[in-house]
Amino acid sequence: METLGFLIEGFAVALTPYNLMFALFGAFAGTLIGCLPGLGPANGVAILIPLAFALGLPPETAMILLTSVYAGAMYGGRISSILLNIPGDEPAMMTCLDGYPMAQKGRAADALAISAIASFSGGLIGTIGLIMLAPVLAKFALSFGPAEYFALFLLAFATLGGITGKNPMKTVIAATLGIMISTVGIDISTGTQRYTFGVLELYEGIDFILAIVGLFAISELLFFVESRIGGGRKKMNVGKLTLTFKEILTTIPTQLRGGVLGFISGVLPGAGASLGSFISYTLEKQVLGKKGHFGEGDIRGVVAPEAGNNGASSGALVPMLTLGVPGSGTTAVLLAMLISLNITPGPLMFTQNADIVWGVIAALLIGNVLLLLLNIPLVGFFVRLLSVPPMYLLPIVTMVAFVGIYSISNSTFDLYFMVAFGAVGYFLRKLEVPVVPIILGLLLGPEMEKNLGHALVLSDGDWSVLWASTLAKSFWLVAGLSLVLPYVVGPMLRRRMNAAMKESPVSD
Amino acid sequence: MTGLGDRFLGLGLLVLAVAYGWVAQQWPEPFGGAETVGPETFPTILAVVLAAGSIYLMVKPDPDAQWPLGRTALELVVSLVVLVVYALLLEPLGFVISTTLAVGLLSWRMGAPVRSAFLTGLSSAVVVFVLFNFGLSLNLPAGLLEVN
Repeated sequence: METLGFLIEGFAVALTPYNLMFALFGAFAGTLIGCLPGLGPANGVAILIPLAFALGLPPETAMILLTSVYAGAMYGGRISSILLNIPGDEPAMMTCLDGYPMAQKGRAADALAISAIASFSGGLIGTIGLIMLAPVLAKFALSFGPAEYFALFLLAFATLGGITGKNPMKTVIAATLGIMISTVGIDISTGTQRYTFGVLELYEGIDFILAIVGLFAISELLFFVESRIGGGRKKMNVGKLTLTFKEILTTIPTQLRGGVLGFISGVLPGAGASLGSFISYTLEKQVLGKKGHFGEGDIRGVVAPEAGNNGASSGALVPMLTLGVPGSGTTAVLLAMLISLNITPGPLMFTQNADIVWGVIAALLIGNVLLLLLNIPLVGFFVRLLSVPPMYLLPIVTMVAFVGIYSISNSTFDLYFMVAFGAVGYFLRKLEVPVVPIILGLLLGPEMEKNLGHALVLSDGDWSVLWASTLAKSFWLVAGLSLVLPYVVGPMLRRRMNAAMKESPVSD
Repeated sequence: MTGLGDRFLGLGLLVLAVAYGWVAQQWPEPFGGAETVGPETFPTILAVVLAAGSIYLMVKPDPDAQWPLGRTALELVVSLVVLVVYALLLEPLGFVISTTLAVGLLSWRMGAPVRSAFLTGLSSAVVVFVLFNFGLSLNLPAGLLEVN
């Protein structure tokens, strides 16, 4: 009941015209970002951070804007899956399997509509799960000491690659690089200058916003330059909506199952939205096995993964909001926004910044409704965006990134840093070193060092305090397992996901 | 020899780890005496982890990626140069002119016809400039176009 009161307060924050406007704008921009070629959710949110920062938006408004973008991008990703058989982002991969066959049978409009509805219910279920689980987890997290936090951060890094990740050692390397960058600047506790080499601009450390925008946006531009797929795609015809109310009703069980499964895999470290949509799809196939015709344009084959990935995107907010430990690239970027707003994420946020947390949660609910309302009538408009050629789009996006970074500090020094991060990001991505752990390392590095220091001061320099409590021990254990498991389970899971992709008769 | 890319990366990271760790040992002891956790403790741990990771990479590299060669590599270098020059000229030339040039050049190199590339550059530059300076009251440099 206490939660309900907070939620109502949250609605009071989110429903002010000013915030509502930003939620609407965010939902719209997010869908746009999701369906534009070459712009994923992490990318889109990354570019908007400096802008939100430079505009001096109040914290709750900035967070509402970015979470709406996040939810919107998940909606948008499905459009190109259905129409072009090209997933807009990774979680939308499974939607191709039945979405594209539906489109080929001339039911593109229906597939788009039902997937919007499924996204809505998935998002709704995920948000309800978030409302119920987050306060409980936050209360539990209050009992964490510095040693537990230190182990939790390790756990976050170890699970970031996910069980489907390719080479966990590269995740470790990337995370270490990120933490190393975060140590540049004046040490908070002793005042020692570290790695500044006397350069004045480095005294305050390297701003992670530069790193995020460089690693995501600039390296993406370079990838497009390299692959030379600058030309647009051909225009698509959506056709008429023939979806009946009865058909929507029959998919409700699928929506519920997909949403719940998605939420669970969103909350769990290392699973995330891609696995959420995969699991929902496979389960649905097993439950309905003979009754369905999956892979040939079964409507439930569109519903399950869409409900799954939107449920997962809300679920992924749970560890980010309650523990300050994000589990995915996009939530890491959202965490960056929180930190740059001077809000310490974690359990205390639920008491100290209750208006922000609950405002964001309420905004997610409102955002889902807005997205559903936006997506059904405007789908034709979004479809037309699919044919915007990247050769015009990406340079403009890069320019917007420049503008954003420039307006934070009004200095060009930061721009060189951003370009350098872009070049480094390109090389690392080429070598299959993931960039998300670098960003997470940058964000969590200072906290990690602080907690390590506190833990050791409390124990009088006894290092074993780091794994003394049962909770800390289990964190270490899960972290260790997450680094070992990909070698064992990873190849198998990946093979099955690929096999599922190939099974569909139309995939090319 | 396969996995050359990873081996080079590993070597580079190992050098970085050693340098990073070595620098950390040079800092003077902070005022008030040494404690268990000094400014050098955490960086030292990081250096060890990175060194171990880089050695692993050199011993067990992944298969090589397809690296761009010849013209594509040149295009990449050109794009990076455009970005750096863009940052360099943003203030002296002003936002509109430098953006037109940068966005135009990038679009053109990505395959757009010259005219539409620079038109895209100019129109996006003007739109963003007007939006930022008058709509959002953030100051982008006017540069050469400044009217006093």
